[in-house]
Amino acid sequence: MRRHTGVSGFLAFVMILPSIVLTLWTVGYPVVDIAVTSIHSVNRFGRTTGFVGLANFAALLADPIFVASFWRTLIWTASVVAGTILVSLPIALVLQEDFAGRGLARVIIMLPWAISLTMNAVVWRWILNGQYGMLNALLFDLGLIDGPVEWLAQARPAFMIEIAIGIFVSMPFTVTILLGGLASLPSEIYEAARVDGASAIMRFRALTLPLLKPFINMAIVLNIIYVFNSFPIIWVLTQGDPANSTDILVTYLYKLAFRYGRLDLAAAMSIVMLLILLVFSVAYASMAMRSQSAE
Amino acid sequence: MTSRQRRTVLSWLFLAPVVIVILFPYVVMVSTALKPSDEIFVFPPRWLPSRLAFENLSAMWVSTGFGRALLNSLIVGFGQTLLCIIFAIPAAYATARLTFTGSKLYRQFLLVTQMLSPIVLVIGLFRFIAGLGLIDSLLALILTGAAFNLAFAIWMLQSFMATIPREIEEAAWIDGASRIQSLVLVFLPLAAPALAVTCIFTFIASWNEFALALTLLRSGDQATLPLRIFTLVGGAYRIEWQQVMAATTLSTLPVALIFAFLQRRLVSGLALGAVK
Amino acid sequence: MRLRQGWLLAGICALALSAGTAHAATEIRVVVAHYSDATAPIFEGMAKDFEHAHPDVKIRVEDVSWDNLQQRLTTDIAGGTPPDLAIVGTRWLLDYASQDVAEPLDSYMTQEFKDRFIGDFLKPSVINGKTYGLPVAASVRSMFYNKDLLAKAGVNGPPATWDDFLAAAKSVKAKSGGAYAFGLQGKELETDVYWYYALWTMGGNLIENGKSGIASPAGIKAATLYKELIDEGLTQPEPTGANRQDVESLFKQGRAAMIFTGPYMRGQIAKEAPTLNYGIAPIPKGTTAATYGVTDSIVLFKDSSHKDVAWKFLEEQAFSPKWRTEFTLKEGFLPITKAEAADPTFANDPGLKALTALLPSARFAPLIPNWEEMADATMAALQQIYLGDAKPEDALKSAADKIDGLIKP
Repeated sequence: MRRHTGVSGFLAFVMILPSIVLTLWTVGYPVVDIAVTSIHSVNRFGRTTGFVGLANFAALLADPIFVASFWRTLIWTASVVAGTILVSLPIALVLQEDFAGRGLARVIIMLPWAISLTMNAVVWRWILNGQYGMLNALLFDLGLIDGPVEWLAQARPAFMIEIAIGIFVSMPFTVTILLGGLASLPSEIYEAARVDGASAIMRFRALTLPLLKPFINMAIVLNIIYVFNSFPIIWVLTQGDPANSTDILVTYLYKLAFRYGRLDLAAAMSIVMLLILLVFSVAYASMAMRSQSAE
Repeated sequence: MTSRQRRTVLSWLFLAPVVIVILFPYVVMVSTALKPSDEIFVFPPRWLPSRLAFENLSAMWVSTGFGRALLNSLIVGFGQTLLCIIFAIPAAYATARLTFTGSKLYRQFLLVTQMLSPIVLVIGLFRFIAGLGLIDSLLALILTGAAFNLAFAIWMLQSFMATIPREIEEAAWIDGASRIQSLVLVFLPLAAPALAVTCIFTFIASWNEFALALTLLRSGDQATLPLRIFTLVGGAYRIEWQQVMAATTLSTLPVALIFAFLQRRLVSGLALGAVK
Repeated sequence: MRLRQGWLLAGICALALSAGTAHAATEIRVVVAHYSDATAPIFEGMAKDFEHAHPDVKIRVEDVSWDNLQQRLTTDIAGGTPPDLAIVGTRWLLDYASQDVAEPLDSYMTQEFKDRFIGDFLKPSVINGKTYGLPVAASVRSMFYNKDLLAKAGVNGPPATWDDFLAAAKSVKAKSGGAYAFGLQGKELETDVYWYYALWTMGGNLIENGKSGIASPAGIKAATLYKELIDEGLTQPEPTGANRQDVESLFKQGRAAMIFTGPYMRGQIAKEAPTLNYGIAPIPKGTTAATYGVTDSIVLFKDSSHKDVAWKFLEEQAFSPKWRTEFTLKEGFLPITKAEAADPTFANDPGLKALTALLPSARFAPLIPNWEEMADATMAALQQIYLGDAKPEDALKSAADKIDGLIKP
């Protein structure tokens, strides 16, 4: 065959080895540490005080805040990821077009990414401040409100704002991935399609979308993982308040571990979160494979 | 109106709402950063300061030790990116080009490492780094950060590398080049745009990283920018918003500059396609 | 080219790393809570003085924001590398003592050292007869009121009882053109404390006979009062959107007539709103006088390998008249040592006198485990009440049940 199969097996091993060593080395230890902690009782300073089996997991399932946070995490992840893809795809398509000032537009779209998530959230918190925030100032100047509005005081609006900001900060990354994908699409096919008289929408549905699919998939999977684990936005904006109504798993995990000193429960929760993501990725991988073989 | 002009108008019209939402925080940041401290809390809030309080910048520079933090962030950012890319190139090439048993397993493994958020692992990570005696050193941050970004970098690189036609490499082999030679001399130059993008992703991730820095660093001398800035906000009795915003604005600049500077190269590199 | 840059960077990295690890023979790590931007420089100053007197010692000050302090110390201790000294909230101290992390200090303290402190402040950090921490920052909360706003509303002097308070609030709302009568904190750190003032003055307790006392008749009365204040528009709108800083900003801007806050507010007003005409008064009384007293403590870690040196640092610098005065002056807390109290800056300060007069009625956070989890449960109940999502008795009852479960392990 053309491929150097025999040699390439060994070569491949040598080439991937460093990456395996580095990740196993730095990530492996903490994972084992957490798995061990999750089946022990541990005091607030990490000293093991006994083996408890699955008691930590049982305690979690009996905790109404955990259960509520679990469902809210699903809503949070689904909304932010779906919103991000829906917003990013048209933006990427437009940014792929040839128009004056495209470079500038691309830089602007990427700007939120230049600030850390934490600081993005801090700035938004300041913008949304009921008394001194610039959003109210703007709405006030436009005559849309006549008194201070506390955007983060109630559960529903606060959570919706958090989702919107989640979409906002995930967008630059996603647009960049999609742009990369669009740029790698072979332009010959398009020219052929254009010559054949296919309309823009037809070209998008028949050509762009299928060709872009691996990149969209990648964006979806990565975003799900990032958003599911995303801590700063909710923590900075509401800390899960009011009355735990905006808590997601990772914010509640943080409270358990570092505010309440329940390191064992927190470890169990980490394991649960990891399992959720694993189940998701296996399901997703098999789904992606089925659709690939169907093509 | 030519079709390009029409496209320009339509494109900007379409992007306008997004651009406004994106620029709004920046306007607020700059406006707050340049307000004298007694104009931060006024009701109703005003957009324009009565005068431009540039002293906020110098006050912030001193009180946050901004220069040192900037240097630390740069060291960590470049260190992490370099380490990450060196490890990622061979791995990405192998997954994109070579068939080997366990390649699927390897991809799964990479995906799993992506699922671990540092915040979930902090205590274990801390124990690990403490065991190495590397607490409060930037090296610890470089190592762990590179490890957390590695899977993504490999994934990213290999999806770009997969689009490079095999024929080009094969031509090099026919000319007598070894695999490694062709990788370095033929393949990598073609993948340069992808490498650049991957480097930028990694650098930005490192630049904005907070959880690892908080866990692994201790003294003020070693702190990175996000850590320093957050100290200004996190639970202080009084928050000097003008300083916070000045620091945030300033810390945004390097990345914004990278975007602006590399944008043209990136766009041309990507838009031309690595190879036609 | 790329390669050369790489080596250059590697070089810079190596340099930076080696600079970070160079140290003297004995190193003492001091974790300092970030009270303000002045905190770290003060402790660096102490460190410099100490290093000058003991050239073989290096004091390393680590400045940590309050939001991250628990996490930092937890990971440090769990990782087996605790600092030598750290500032902690005294309310966390029981955990540190019961889990054998903090060193009892009684054997280190000479009578002369003990005598430096104003008596009451050492007490909150005594557990089972042993002193586990030394107070570094102390505050007692009180009512700050805007004299102009009250005068405009025709209210003579600060309201002394809750009935007067309600009446005064109503007049302020009616007559002072848009200012809020009462700034009510409804989110984040110390939301529960803002309500304890009412609970305590109405005769309630946090813990009664080993059980939570928040759902007692006094507790329900206190929560009902706050809800009434919200519903009648006597507070700023939607209190669950305002944290401590938000409420305090309202007061500094002259937009809230009355708030409950700590002594540090005086320094902030002097700096940011020097023309504000305000007074300091006790929390309004229901059946008893009460307020919240808070101390933060500095603890010595059991695992420290240089306990004697660390103690010397406390004795010679941290609790010296020079640095105590500097700290109290810059941070705006109450004097803790007699030397500070005698300093003319503090001794002739009428506002400070008003505050210190409140000390006898001050309640300190009870030394019980799981304090933070209880505070959060209480806060969640209060937020439901403030938002109108639950009735005071129901919300407080379920929070009290949760707290009871936390008290007995």
